[in-house]
Amino acid sequence: MFEITLEDGGLIKLSGRFDATQTERARAVLKTLDRSATADFADLDYISSAGLGIIVETYKRLHDAGHGLRLIHLNPRIRSIFTYSGLDKVMQIE
Amino acid sequence: MLERRFRRDLASLDEIFQFVASYLKSRGLDPGHSTDVGLLIEEVFTNMLKYAKGGGREVAIGLGGSGSDVVITIRDFDVESFDITAAPEADIDRPLAERKAGGLGLHLVRRLADSIGYEYKDRSAIVTLTKRLVP
Repeated sequence: MFEITLEDGGLIKLSGRFDATQTERARAVLKTLDRSATADFADLDYISSAGLGIIVETYKRLHDAGHGLRLIHLNPRIRSIFTYSGLDKVMQIE
Repeated sequence: MLERRFRRDLASLDEIFQFVASYLKSRGLDPGHSTDVGLLIEEVFTNMLKYAKGGGREVAIGLGGSGSDVVITIRDFDVESFDITAAPEADIDRPLAERKAGGLGLHLVRRLADSIGYEYKDRSAIVTLTKRLVP
């Protein structure tokens, strides 16, 4: 089960399993962002390269428009996926 | 080795994750490891769907091993050969804007798996992965 919601103040809440079946659903929500945002991973249990791709795509789009995307509350397993992908060096992860 | 067949379709991922969780539980292994094992399978499975030409209606996934090792086999039937062990490395050291798309899934497989094997026989592509589960 995967959920993604966009709350006031540009807070994106993700939960569950962000796998390859969820990319279009996530993209539909994230493409509505037009300012700096924070993605809260506290309730996200899993992310695959397909999910990473959507996060990177959003990060690049916002960055190119002069905005930012901050990732917070990653659990250790998900943080290690970002590290293995080299994304911890280029994205704002707290 | 416990083997099950799944439709060669992204929509099978839910059933595959359930299969992994159930298998780890049957061996008394920490269900928390289902994320690593599930990730290895998802990345190889989706790679087969994207890049291997042809393919039958189903893909067979096997789980086995002993001790803290899990052996995973993923067999794609009636397909052209696509050797994931020969795929180029992902470009992860450059700034995002300069990175080429693709390859990240197999990069994660290389990082997470303890061994990766590929065999092509009778028009079946078989990927064998081992993962040592660390408490």
